[in-house]
Amino acid sequence: MRIYIVEDSRLARQELRTLLAAIPDADIVGEAAELAQAREGIEALLPELLLLDVELPGATGFELLDQLHHLPLVIFTTAYDQHALAAFERNALDYLLKPIDPQRLEAALLRARERLQAQRHGATAAPGATGTGPGCKGADDMVFLRDGERCWFVRLGDVAGFEACGNYVQAWFEGQHPLLQRTLSALEERLDPQLFFRASRSHLINLRWVQSIQPWHNEGYRVTLRDGHEVEVSRRQAKQLRERLEL
Amino acid sequence: MHPGRRALIQLLLWSFYVLLSLGMIANYQALSGTLVAVMVAVGAALWAASEALRAWALRGGWLDLPPRALLLRLALAPPLMAVVAQLLVYSFNRLGLALGLLHFAANAPYGLGVLLGYTANTAILLWLWLLAWAGGQWLQRWRQGEIAKWQAEAAARALELQVLRAQINPHFLFNALNNLRALINEDPARAREMLSRLSNTLRHTLQHSAKERVPLAEELVVVRDYVALEQLHHEDRLQVRWDIDPATEGASLPPMILQLLVENAIKHGIARTVGGGVLEIVLRRQGARLQIEVSNPGVWVEGGAQSSTGLGLPHLRERLKRAGGEGADCRIAAADGRVRVTVELTA
Repeated sequence: MRIYIVEDSRLARQELRTLLAAIPDADIVGEAAELAQAREGIEALLPELLLLDVELPGATGFELLDQLHHLPLVIFTTAYDQHALAAFERNALDYLLKPIDPQRLEAALLRARERLQAQRHGATAAPGATGTGPGCKGADDMVFLRDGERCWFVRLGDVAGFEACGNYVQAWFEGQHPLLQRTLSALEERLDPQLFFRASRSHLINLRWVQSIQPWHNEGYRVTLRDGHEVEVSRRQAKQLRERLEL
Repeated sequence: MHPGRRALIQLLLWSFYVLLSLGMIANYQALSGTLVAVMVAVGAALWAASEALRAWALRGGWLDLPPRALLLRLALAPPLMAVVAQLLVYSFNRLGLALGLLHFAANAPYGLGVLLGYTANTAILLWLWLLAWAGGQWLQRWRQGEIAKWQAEAAARALELQVLRAQINPHFLFNALNNLRALINEDPARAREMLSRLSNTLRHTLQHSAKERVPLAEELVVVRDYVALEQLHHEDRLQVRWDIDPATEGASLPPMILQLLVENAIKHGIARTVGGGVLEIVLRRQGARLQIEVSNPGVWVEGGAQSSTGLGLPHLRERLKRAGGEGADCRIAAADGRVRVTVELTA
């Protein structure tokens, strides 16, 4: 398991190294004390697992996750910050309290290992499903979504679509509608075009979530998604959608 | 109680009374349409009278009155209402007779004595009703009072805990313990020293001096222990420059004032600045005035940051007002990316 450590205190990093030394497949590929350094290190080394301190100098661990293109699995470490961790609507990840209990660490790594294996399995079972290019995210990739104080880790394949709302983008998944501080175009560039289709100027839809397509006025379409959202597709985009689906 | 539910209970209660009365009458005379109609009228009059009593009691706030006034009202209101109710029934009877709808048997009892007997009967019923209602109200009030008491107690306990937690700063404590774990392997001798310093800091916080004033030298020991532990965490990111005027020797100050300033400087300044910086602690004395100046890299945010407990500065000002002596003062200045807090007080 390729692990990257982000901790502001050198001794805390040393402590993690000591604890991880007892775990045979834990391979520490790098470490950082601050956000910028961590971002560069993670993008360059592409670790599988991130041990992330919630409190970083001048920033929080969540801000780091916001800025990452490559999002590894994340285990948070914190001295005392139940508030930040309560921010998770869906606790799709683990957290460790400092001083870290070796058994808790081992259990967290076990879970991470299982998740990674499931991901690898998914990737080989459906080749091409994990994206077409570097930095391009596919259905099985996890994304970190943040709306103010609330955070979610979501499998991209579970997101039905995105809708532009001014300078924000609203994501649709599992009945949640967080507003993300991104533009739809910036988002589109990062997503697998085989999976997400730009249905109109303000909509990006997950093609696997399409339930029905009806002819609509002006030779366009009206697409109904499985979660009930309805999106109108313009004539120009309708042609593209036809081509995409006929393949 | 919900109005619909109250109406239902009233309906059941008075219907039961009417049926019971009719049943008893049926024992010694045959029921006639007139008897049933009159008994229903009596039931309706009792219902109306009891509702009127309730409205009267609520509007007059009877339950909040002193015992004597309350008893007087509980004693006199039902007979008064009973008279009104009997007058209603009497009018109903007269009207029925006049219209030829009611036909009383020739031997039916009548007269003032009979009317008084009926009124007394009604009054007793209304007394019972009013007592039951008031009892229910008292029970409900008592329950609500109990709940409010528990809630107040819980809130007070939560606040107490919050104050205690703010003093101990769990963040600092657990980070220090975590760092110590690593230091035990790296440098056991230093780890032992740091453990002693942590003990001193904790003991000091828990004993939380109730004294108005402590010698500056004593406060400095506490601050030096604390700073050493923070340096263990921040290492090169926390550089400390002490500048202590020898004239301050022998000065005293309210406990934990300097500690609070240093804690804030590290928490809001050093810890939030990429690369850290210099924490400067300057102590000066001019005559009877002691000047404490703590500065750190950072920017001053009016109203404090989100993560701040907000207890720091107001608490400090309060303490200064109480034990800082004449003209004690706390000033905050921000310039060139540094925040400087200056406290002046009587030494």
